[in-house]
Amino acid sequence: MKYHLVTLGCQMNQSDSERVKRVLDGMGAQWTDKESEANVIGILACSVRQKAIDKVYSKIANWNKRKQSENLITFISGCVLPTDKEKFLKLFDIVFAMRELPQLPQMLAQYGVTTPAGLERDNLNPKEEINFFWKVKPKYNSSFEAFIPIQNGCDKFCSFCAVPYTRGREVSRPSEEIIAEVRSLVEKGYKSITLLGQNVNSYGLDKKGSEINFSELLEGIGKIGVSSKEKFWVYFTSPHPRDMGRDVIEVIAKYKCLGKQIHLPIQSGDDKVLIKMNRKHSLKKYRETVDAIKALIPQATLFTDIIVGFSGETDEQFENSRKAMKEFKYNMAYIAMYSKRPGAASYSWPDDVEQSIKKERFALLTEDLAEVSGAYNQSMIGKVVSVLVRDNDRKSGYLSAQTEGKITVRFASQENLIGRFVKVKITSASNFSVEGELVTVNESSEVEFKHDETKSWI
Amino acid sequence: MSKEVPVANKIKTELHEILDVRQLTDSTFVLRFERKNLEFEAGQHVCVGPPNGIHTREYSIYSGTQEDYIDILVKEVENGLVSPSLKKLQKGGFVVVEEPVGYFTINKDHPKGQKYVFIASGTGVSPFHSFVKSHKELNYTLLHGVKYGSEAYDADIYEKSNYKLCTSREATGDYYGRVTDYLKEHKLGLDTHYYLCGNCNMIHDVYDILEQQGVSTDNIHAEVYF
Repeated sequence: MKYHLVTLGCQMNQSDSERVKRVLDGMGAQWTDKESEANVIGILACSVRQKAIDKVYSKIANWNKRKQSENLITFISGCVLPTDKEKFLKLFDIVFAMRELPQLPQMLAQYGVTTPAGLERDNLNPKEEINFFWKVKPKYNSSFEAFIPIQNGCDKFCSFCAVPYTRGREVSRPSEEIIAEVRSLVEKGYKSITLLGQNVNSYGLDKKGSEINFSELLEGIGKIGVSSKEKFWVYFTSPHPRDMGRDVIEVIAKYKCLGKQIHLPIQSGDDKVLIKMNRKHSLKKYRETVDAIKALIPQATLFTDIIVGFSGETDEQFENSRKAMKEFKYNMAYIAMYSKRPGAASYSWPDDVEQSIKKERFALLTEDLAEVSGAYNQSMIGKVVSVLVRDNDRKSGYLSAQTEGKITVRFASQENLIGRFVKVKITSASNFSVEGELVTVNESSEVEFKHDETKSWI
Repeated sequence: MSKEVPVANKIKTELHEILDVRQLTDSTFVLRFERKNLEFEAGQHVCVGPPNGIHTREYSIYSGTQEDYIDILVKEVENGLVSPSLKKLQKGGFVVVEEPVGYFTINKDHPKGQKYVFIASGTGVSPFHSFVKSHKELNYTLLHGVKYGSEAYDADIYEKSNYKLCTSREATGDYYGRVTDYLKEHKLGLDTHYYLCGNCNMIHDVYDILEQQGVSTDNIHAEVYF
């Protein structure tokens, strides 16, 4: 049996896809890159924007046409709104919530798919839902970068967002499992680890005192960095500004292995829009958090998410978002044009900002971002930076890497350095990336990194 | 060998038996269902839906934290996904209820005797009803903005001197006009904490007025309803 998986949306879906692959591999199925060769096709859906869900409808229409002439089993999971789920039940063979993943073999068995190889079931309890899912060992897509889900669900009910209705309430994964997975990955030589959750920094709060909190979790991970001789960077996404306390920032400052890149979604620079979005924090509180980041980790880069054209957003309110972009000097922003999401509170509100205005605001904010991130990148010229090489660049003979702050760096090299830390001297900059020259490839250990601290680098 | 899953790790989405349905107006009613060990702070909400449906909606908890049941205040929305189904339910039936969540609560760090002004439109009075039921000796003023006097839901639980019913369509309340008009005429203090709940247009307008009066944004807390 050959399978193919289409993964849409965020890193959480990418992380979930690693567990789906493990389950399917465990059944003896074989991955294929080609949809046309697969007997089983799955899709991990994204409901954050309508465009993403439209892709699902388009895909299943094509797959159902194929079914008229060949055997094909289709399934869907990921972030699916209840209204779409109702429709998908008629379009897909199998529809399941990700926490039900361990039951996928039984679901496929109903379609005549046998399981020659069983899963490891000795540590699985069918009554555990999301915990059951977390116990499925992922089939990591990369040999040097990994995602670790630490938390699932959302209790925030931001008025524009469908996620509380697709992922359910916040549940934190047991900390000992998370720490063990980090330790295991570090021992295997993983260089970049990202902790995932819809609200990573509300980790532990749902356990009402019976679990450590997010800063304590980071502290535990930081100590792995201290005891290990290996160099690695640990990041997290997505945090909510409401739950971002000084304690988290202090821990990030304390441990070298905690990556100095903070993703802090702002969504709007206007207090009234933030209230309407039900974000539960003011611009003042956001500013205080950014000030703390700048004071405690001045070298940290700052990423964000912003929505333009939210219901009722006036020109003045949009200008406040532009001011915020310039004030906080983001290194990257994921800017989205607002689209109504069924189930979200704002679905019943008028989507009254014209599409042409949304596009204009998107373009203006992108220009503002280019200006501030470009200025930062220019300041890197001449500096020697430590980077993690991630892939071959589109430009032939070049490699693509990222700094600790996740600034994209391109440099020429004929060597296969993918998955290694190297040092690069920055020679030129553009708005969203920089280019450099390879200085040294001997960046394998933290000890060596410390020895060169006299050099000026970021 | 599998580890015992702590109770806190289990996702709670259960059927709760309906204990009572109390009609307040033609379209608004209080739905009472069994509490079943759900813990909450006054001001939080629960997601509730009919037992045979796929949708749930968030409803502020209307009852007090010490009660052994949970009340929610529901207004039937025409063509709504959930409220028309809830309106058909009767005592003895069931609803799907998720665990209480939310941040619209009285801050435990506020000093004793802290002055509060609660400003609500329509069913936005729900969390304030829970505040008053849950926190004895609360120093509060409640401005409840409605269209008609009949929408003064359970007004008898509030101290008369603390409750101002602002009616916009008829002069049957304590004040004839909107809550915004009342606020423009009565400054209620800069050290006061203001809690706003209900229609987002009301919240925006009240926010503007409070800002103009010099109230700090740290003292303004809002929960926007659909």
